[in-house]
Amino acid sequence: MKTFQLFNSSSLFTRTRALTLAVATVIALAINLIGMITGITVLLSHIIYIPIILAAYWFPRRGLVFSTLIAVAYGALIALILPLDILLIIATLFRMTFFILIGGVVSFLSAKLRESEQQLHEIIEFLPYPTFAVNRKGEVIAWNQAVEEMTGVKKAEILKKGDYAYSVAFYGIKRPALLDLILSPNPETEAWYPQIKEEGKKLVSEVFIPHFKEGKGIHLRIAATALVDGNGNITGAIESIRDITEQVMTESALQNTSSRLNTIAGIVRHDISRKLAGLYGILSIGVMKFDDPDVLFFIEALKDSAQGIQRQIDISREFKDIGTSPPTWIPVQETVLDAVGRLGIGGVSFRSWTERLEIFADPHLPAVFFHIFDATIKDTDGVTTVIITYHIRENGAAILIETDGAGIETGIKESLFTQRDERYGNGLFLAHEICSISNMTIRETGTPKKGTRFEILIPAEGYRIV
Amino acid sequence: MIEKEGIPATRKNGADISKDTLQKNGCHQESGIRVRELKAIEFPAADTIWVEYHETTGNPVTDRIFAAFAGDQIVSLARCRRHPDGMDIDGIFTPAEHRRKGYSRLAVGALVEACHNDNLYMHAVRHLIDFYTKQGFIPIAEKELPPTIRERYIWAGGNLEGAEVQPMYRKAGLFF
Repeated sequence: MKTFQLFNSSSLFTRTRALTLAVATVIALAINLIGMITGITVLLSHIIYIPIILAAYWFPRRGLVFSTLIAVAYGALIALILPLDILLIIATLFRMTFFILIGGVVSFLSAKLRESEQQLHEIIEFLPYPTFAVNRKGEVIAWNQAVEEMTGVKKAEILKKGDYAYSVAFYGIKRPALLDLILSPNPETEAWYPQIKEEGKKLVSEVFIPHFKEGKGIHLRIAATALVDGNGNITGAIESIRDITEQVMTESALQNTSSRLNTIAGIVRHDISRKLAGLYGILSIGVMKFDDPDVLFFIEALKDSAQGIQRQIDISREFKDIGTSPPTWIPVQETVLDAVGRLGIGGVSFRSWTERLEIFADPHLPAVFFHIFDATIKDTDGVTTVIITYHIRENGAAILIETDGAGIETGIKESLFTQRDERYGNGLFLAHEICSISNMTIRETGTPKKGTRFEILIPAEGYRIV
Repeated sequence: MIEKEGIPATRKNGADISKDTLQKNGCHQESGIRVRELKAIEFPAADTIWVEYHETTGNPVTDRIFAAFAGDQIVSLARCRRHPDGMDIDGIFTPAEHRRKGYSRLAVGALVEACHNDNLYMHAVRHLIDFYTKQGFIPIAEKELPPTIRERYIWAGGNLEGAEVQPMYRKAGLFF
């Protein structure tokens, strides 16, 4: 009864522990009492460590008090039963001190462990993302507030439950979830998910649950990973869920808008091209009809402007598809040769030394080289040679496109890759935009009057040497 | 002989590379001789040529190997190896029956142009100093070599003249 009062327990779990502790204490003291009566005092005293360690581990806040009480009880029994001499008194005092010391140390360590567990529990509990965990048997061991709110299932209802109880909360049926793939890889489990990606130690997938949000449905991004013990053995799995409905809807809306804008832009481009064809016709007739040099000069200027408009239309046609296909690994040498082929410029020597380089880029990469070549050859004077190389650097790699010739004036360099309608057109802006899709950048570092030098900077994860 | 992907079995005094591979990679052609860099999968073909050159072998992680081709046959090689403290040029070799045709100049010229973004170092055979000078190299003292490159000739005990070699250096940059 004393033990029950000491631990002031109300829950069944705590009461069971207190009862176990009381029984262990009584047995330990009884064995020692018998030992004292029969003259065995040395070895049997160690049995008392059992209730001390149990008390300190289960009830860390009371562990020190308990170990002190049991040490006093042990000392009292010795004093009452055995004839005291100086040696026995010293030995007993040592044992009592050790009982208290062990109780204190285990209590301290246990308290720290509880504190750490509590912190971890609170981190999971208050994570903004719905999160739950299961043990090796598939029983729910953690179910945080966010997952309670998402599913409407309270923690108390689901903790310790197995047999895919968590799937019932999400999907309405008993079936394996993504975290079950961590515990036991199974093709049938994989079949429940449209696409599963491995990101480091995580499995990631996206699902749509139609009956959530009053039947409106919800898009979820799910990540599952293993819970491991100190030896690296899997002891369970944890699943974290994020509502990406808004993101999916935004992407869908953007795609629709982009598609509509492309359609409208296509119609406008077509109309302008038709009008331009008409304008060219009128200007051609004008050249034949007039012979006044001033008028002919005027017509020629109009033709130049019309050509400028045509070029802008061509570039806008290329813009419409950028970023619509995902980036992929592209061999640079073939891409450069493709761009050179499209350029159709004779008399300029191209030498590319990029046979082994592959970069992760938008499939429109040939347009990058095309517009850089176009800008350097058509818009700068005296270019006879273009050399393309690559250079491995500390934080990635660079593709270098160098030419001879007049180079680019310092004042122009800053605005080279911005959208403009003067010299160099929008081609370099387009090249810059294509590169930025896969985190690449372009800059011009050539020396005016000595040649151009374009550098395409590639992040470390964006290139490989084959 | 066993054929590997893209590289037919080799024959003595010249490794074969398929014509398709040559065209696909856009080699640089001069007087019927094409020059290009070898991909990692083609390094064994270079190793075959180098059997006669101190049994040198290429390492795809640290090396860039440039080859001159007559048809589909490698006729000259040059290698640039990345050391922790610099780039070392070596492995410049032309099989005996292909010498005195300027193939080595093409292979070394390709290497220098492709690797021009770094300072280049080499131990040149003394009678070829003029040849490398035309490629932009200048003679330097042994102590000016980066330590890990200097180690290659440590066996000479500082007497590189006796070993018939001259340390040379080419500053990074293109010379149009």
